[in-house]
Amino acid sequence: MSDQLPAVLVLAPLFGALLVTLVGWKDHRVCFPITATTLFVTLLTAIAAAYQVFTTGTIDYFVGGWEEPIGIGIHLRIDALNALLLVAIAIVAFLVSFFSIRRIGEKNAEKTPYFYSLFLMLCLGLFGITIAGDAFNLFVLVEVSSLTSYGLIAMGSSRRGTLAAFNYVLMGTVGASFYLIGVGYLYLKTGTLNMQEIHTIMGANPEIAASKAVSIAFLFILIGIWIKMAFFPLHGWLPNAYSYCPSSSACLLAPLMTKISVYVMIRVMLSVFGYDWVFLSPGWSNLVVWLAVIAILVGSILALAQRELKKMLCYLIVAEVGYMVGGAWLADKELWGLTGSLYHILADAMMTLCLFLAAGIFAKRFRAREISDLEGMFRRAPVVSIGFVVGALAMIGVPPTAGFFSKFYLIRGGMDAGHWEFVVALLISSLVNAVLFFRIFEIAFFGNKPAEGHGHEEGDGHEDEADLPLSKNPPTSAPPAWAGIFPLLTSAALILLLGIFNGEIVGFIRVFLESLPHLASHLQ
Amino acid sequence: MLSKVFATLAVVITGSILLYGVTDFPAFGDPKSPASAGVPGSESVSQYFITESYGDTKVPNLVTSVLADYRGYDTMFETVVIFAAGMAIFAILRVVGDEKDSRKKRVEENTFTNGDHSRIIVGTTCRIVVPVIQLFALYVIAHGHHSPGGGFQGGVILGASFIILALSDHLNAALRRFSEKSYTIIAVVGILIYAAFGVVAQLLGANFLDYGVLQPLLFTDGPEMARSHSMLGVEIGVAFTVTAIMFAIYANLSTRGLLRNGL
Repeated sequence: MSDQLPAVLVLAPLFGALLVTLVGWKDHRVCFPITATTLFVTLLTAIAAAYQVFTTGTIDYFVGGWEEPIGIGIHLRIDALNALLLVAIAIVAFLVSFFSIRRIGEKNAEKTPYFYSLFLMLCLGLFGITIAGDAFNLFVLVEVSSLTSYGLIAMGSSRRGTLAAFNYVLMGTVGASFYLIGVGYLYLKTGTLNMQEIHTIMGANPEIAASKAVSIAFLFILIGIWIKMAFFPLHGWLPNAYSYCPSSSACLLAPLMTKISVYVMIRVMLSVFGYDWVFLSPGWSNLVVWLAVIAILVGSILALAQRELKKMLCYLIVAEVGYMVGGAWLADKELWGLTGSLYHILADAMMTLCLFLAAGIFAKRFRAREISDLEGMFRRAPVVSIGFVVGALAMIGVPPTAGFFSKFYLIRGGMDAGHWEFVVALLISSLVNAVLFFRIFEIAFFGNKPAEGHGHEEGDGHEDEADLPLSKNPPTSAPPAWAGIFPLLTSAALILLLGIFNGEIVGFIRVFLESLPHLASHLQ
Repeated sequence: MLSKVFATLAVVITGSILLYGVTDFPAFGDPKSPASAGVPGSESVSQYFITESYGDTKVPNLVTSVLADYRGYDTMFETVVIFAAGMAIFAILRVVGDEKDSRKKRVEENTFTNGDHSRIIVGTTCRIVVPVIQLFALYVIAHGHHSPGGGFQGGVILGASFIILALSDHLNAALRRFSEKSYTIIAVVGILIYAAFGVVAQLLGANFLDYGVLQPLLFTDGPEMARSHSMLGVEIGVAFTVTAIMFAIYANLSTRGLLRNGL
């Protein structure tokens, strides 16, 4: 059974989604238990897969048993590059499923099964993208995850959310098409879709590797992925889409979607085109790092200008994407930039989850959407505030949180590569984050608004409240408080654990980087 | 105005880059192009399909064998994409109205027989044509591995037959035959059928979607015929989902999620 792990990883959420649709129709209360159980099974599978990668090495899985000649069937692969990411996705999805517990007897309850069905299919798509070893299969699963995320974003009641989802549909479609065009060009020149095989062919045939069509394929794949990850000039869709959608959708999408795209970019760079090919001419590397620098600065500055908490976090995501893209393109000799970037994918997933969960709880229970609404929040919700503080400190980069170590590795990479502008941008961004979050701490801690206690909690007429619970009438039974607090505190704890065990995690990541034959020479 | 200039510029630049890449392509129809003949040192995938797929699967239509067997994992997720589209549309649009009200309306606007003569010609024609369309759809599904066709195409035709029924008569006439409950169940069952072929293979000790090991269950002569029959099975699964979601999307879009009155 253990050799079936990659298949189980996508099949468990698939069956969960089908079951939720079938059974949830009759009774909405079974939706959450099914979802949570499915995601728990997936989490165990992901951990087992990561453990197997750690002990016995890469897992290769050939669907349908079509192994030879390579490329006729579909190849799934779990290696040191994606094993930890799988665990991270599973953790985030599992935790968010708790946050999404809904009040019983609320309006629009009939949409509950659809919500969980989309939720599980999104997870399925993300797992599928992560383990794909076939360039076209990756596109199919990008479609699954994109379609479900459009649905999850548009589900809220606010009109702005619907408009944002529509913009996202347009941008996302362009991004996916660009990726597909790139894969098509690549297929025309190499005659295969298997990532490993494309890489082998390009290595063995320099004239193919040097051809115009392959360069254009790379350009289009890259831009397509950049649109999906909201990299700086292409980030326009993200802030509205993630801030006006239901809180539980935002908590799922914000930590995962952009990070997965960064992973896809790194996977394409390393496993399809190859490190040497990508960094053949330093001009590209310099250009992308400069774009990343602009992304970091623009994201940070726009975050400063926001009055809504979620919008501010969204602009921070734009800046964080800059960190990861920049790190991946630093091309320093010892690959600390790439290491930092891969580590930051995990760290940022947890940080974003933590902050969005906190923001979601503030919005759901306290109707606090604007930063100024957070006055006195430390008194009104001390536990939630602690979680928020941990996430915020990680964003700023205070040791021993994970955020500090990813910045540490990224800065080390930047210094090794001589990209001082990247180092400066990282430091400025940390400074801006410090200003941002300490301003919030000040409002939340010293705010002089009298604590109104529970009287303020439910519904003061926010008609465009984008939360899934669309209730205007006070609900008969609110979701239990632990449904928000449990995932929040777990994610906060994970931020600390990721930071404390950064050495082990980075060691695991570098096993992969050192195993690539063309990188071994760089690392010596 | 400025945004239009930018958009045009973006389109022109993208188009020129793509066209620039085309100059580097192998000639149109070139039998020695990498996609047909492979590159030095690597056997071509398409060459393998052309020479080996019939032996592997006993399916004369090699497009079907690539789609449903070699790359069956992709096709399963394409079906999931369609299912996800349906779920997303339900999630966004579906509104459960007042149940009593809708039942009353259903009685009122029963069919075209309640005095609206302008619909007689269209209604009668469609009533005659719909069974033929459906029969043809079943043919396209069942014959997918011998001739062009398969689950997606057949499913779309079958779904269209219900849409024609809804257009020519009344949405409720179509919904009475294909209710919300049944299309949701059929959409789910379609994917379940597809995945079941894969999971049963896993239970028998092979990899996901390795149809060859299903031989003892399908009572065939060899693993090749098992593959052939399994392909028919998964095509039927695809057709279930596509049919259901096609009609469901129409029903929800045309009524803004109310599922009553219709166009």
